[in-house]
Amino acid sequence: MNPLTTLLLATVVIAMAVLIWWPERGVLARWRKTRSRAEHVYREDALKHIHKSHISGRRPTLESIAGVIHLSLNETAAILADMQVDELLRIAEGEIALTAKGRESALHIIRAHRLWERYLAEETGWEEASWHGQAEEMEHRLQPAELDALSAQLGFPTHDPHGDPIPDRTGQLMAYDSQTLTTLDADTPARIVHLEDEPETVYAQLVAEGLYPGQIVRLIGSSPERVRFWAGGNEHILAPIMAENIHVVLLPEMIEVDLDKKERLGSLPPGATAEVVALSPTCRGSERRRLLDLGLTPGTLVQAEFQSPGGDPTAYRIRGALIALRQEQADRIQIKRMEA
Amino acid sequence: MINNDKHADLLQTAKQLRWQAGQNFHDQLMEDIYAEAARLADRSVTRPDEKPRFDLDRTIDQIVTHPRWGFLLMILLFTLVFWITISGANVPSGWLATLFLDMGHPWLKEMSALIGLPWWLDGVLIDGMYLATAWVISVMLPPMAIFFPLFTLLEDFGYLPRVAFNLDNIFKKSGAHGKQALSMMMGFGCNAAGVIATRIIDSPRERLIAIITNNFALCNGRWPTQILVASLFLGTLVPAYLAGFASAMAVVGVALLGVFLTFAISWGLSRTMLQGEVSTFSLELPPYRPPRVWQTIYTSLIDRTIFVLWRAIVFALPAGAVIWLAANGTIGGISIAEHMIAFLDPIGWFLGLNGIILVAYIVAIPANEIVIPTILMLIVLSTSMGDAGAGTGVMFELESGAETLSLLQNGGWTTLTAINLMIFSLIHNPCSTTIYTIYKETGSKKWTLVASLLPLALGFVVTFFVAQIWYLFAG
Repeated sequence: MNPLTTLLLATVVIAMAVLIWWPERGVLARWRKTRSRAEHVYREDALKHIHKSHISGRRPTLESIAGVIHLSLNETAAILADMQVDELLRIAEGEIALTAKGRESALHIIRAHRLWERYLAEETGWEEASWHGQAEEMEHRLQPAELDALSAQLGFPTHDPHGDPIPDRTGQLMAYDSQTLTTLDADTPARIVHLEDEPETVYAQLVAEGLYPGQIVRLIGSSPERVRFWAGGNEHILAPIMAENIHVVLLPEMIEVDLDKKERLGSLPPGATAEVVALSPTCRGSERRRLLDLGLTPGTLVQAEFQSPGGDPTAYRIRGALIALRQEQADRIQIKRMEA
Repeated sequence: MINNDKHADLLQTAKQLRWQAGQNFHDQLMEDIYAEAARLADRSVTRPDEKPRFDLDRTIDQIVTHPRWGFLLMILLFTLVFWITISGANVPSGWLATLFLDMGHPWLKEMSALIGLPWWLDGVLIDGMYLATAWVISVMLPPMAIFFPLFTLLEDFGYLPRVAFNLDNIFKKSGAHGKQALSMMMGFGCNAAGVIATRIIDSPRERLIAIITNNFALCNGRWPTQILVASLFLGTLVPAYLAGFASAMAVVGVALLGVFLTFAISWGLSRTMLQGEVSTFSLELPPYRPPRVWQTIYTSLIDRTIFVLWRAIVFALPAGAVIWLAANGTIGGISIAEHMIAFLDPIGWFLGLNGIILVAYIVAIPANEIVIPTILMLIVLSTSMGDAGAGTGVMFELESGAETLSLLQNGGWTTLTAINLMIFSLIHNPCSTTIYTIYKETGSKKWTLVASLLPLALGFVVTFFVAQIWYLFAG
């Protein structure tokens, strides 16, 4: 056989194989994706969108739903009609609302999505950018029983890696109990979830202070006479009886607060010593456990000893042991430098 | 019995507490454990006064991780280890070959003739199983018995973690762990041992990468094939005074190709198949200590050498029987081996190899050491050169290079065959001992399959392109 022919043939075969099996963009991957766009996927995406709209106070419309599920208005209307027949939603005077059954399904999808993201964050090495996309696919495949098992495996997590709460099995979202601002520890970041609207005068004053749910607060100090705290970029001073009416939840530690102001271990020059302040919230799962196992807890003294000839990794003296850490790991450890 | 209301209350309280405990109560626990441990230690451990001593460890570290001297020292040390291994193994290998092959084999034949074993039993047992196993032992045992203890001594001293530390930056770029340098180095001795050595890598993703790519470290069972083929075919292409140098460079080139492939495949794997595997890095640099020489030699002989050798023997025994049966069992008057050769010849042409080489690589899956003896035996078998060799289906090697060369050329070998054999010897499936070890280490059929078939497919592709381009230009 002519070598030129065989070479051409082989090149074509290899190119075809690459085209077919290329991860995510290959023919096979695309085909799988379109096949997964089944009817129930559209329904579930619609349910999720309606639920989210209600929570954030927007009105779901036919157009907004069609936009989310990438179908024409006619097709979307047909799907919504089917869902109405199945008692998943009610449509009255242009208002689209979920029935109890619809809400339950929506919460199941949200739970699946957030649990899966949590799973990806804790137990796999997938990059953060790919979590959402993968969860978007898995949320349609996981059954409630599987979710229970997954939740148990992960130690019944309460939040997804982005800090959003995970609904529990009964579909209860926000099942947590808030605490009042006065019981908060100083300097612990928290989020306002509720402003008590009785008595009215107190409520009015809280609103006048510019406080609203969703705001991030941090207590500066409290005494029997007054409570000082930061919220919305301002310092506020309230009487404790008023502060009692502000309900907050602790911020999931995932969210970085003021982190950028602190020095990281990665910038510690050889020979210098520092005290560990905290592990960055972006350091998760086995990575975090590994660092904790090495004894990198707040208060630990760490000394940078020497660098690899390539500049990375660097060897650190941690609790008497010499441990090499890579730059990006060291950058996830906040430190306070000690004076020599 | 618990009142139902109370029950519900309790659950509710637990739920609340969970929310209040926050996400990182694990961190809190760990902190408390360390605080408690520190308190206990402070109370009951007395430390000698801090002495402003000369810090030996720090001094050694400064030398071995020095930007210039560190690398130089590393290259020198490993060259020394390989040199001691290669030069030191030749002599005992020769002894073992004389004992088992030149003396043991004829003696056994005489014995079996004496007790009147049937010819087929004599063939399967002595010419097949015994010979294959003896070959594997004499080629494999001496280098391993030297290489492993030397390596373990460096490990015991505390030097090897510093090598990983020095090289980590290079491995990191291909998505691997610095400690892969060590498992790779071990792979130059034996891939099965290299795969076991990946246990030191505690990050799952990087460990799989190290296991799958270990096969690209040219193991000691494949060096003899490389050296023989390079000196017979490539050394003769250049003037005589350059022959030794050229063939040595060719072998080193193949080994370096293997190192390059290790990095390339690691890079590819970490970005495709292994993206989802957990990855964490940490590398402890233990304090230096004087190596415990005798203990080290003893344990490395038992744990590594004997262990790997035993697995190799277990696989070589049946392989020997299969080789003999394939050469002596006939279908329609023609031996099974010849049927296989005829079937694989066209495929061999596409790859710039031939049917005999492919058959040899199939029957030599248990041990690459017997590839050359099997090839020689098969050439004699298929070209019916009755006077050469040691009898039908009996593996052999020839004393002189010239004889071997003329035999191979009779078998239709060209420079291309030699080059592609060298490439294929580097890039093909791992031996069965290694495959079994990979399965044991990963516990996964999927990764075992990937580790076995990926290099094989790559070998086909590379040899194919080399061959076709060769045909294109050389006609």
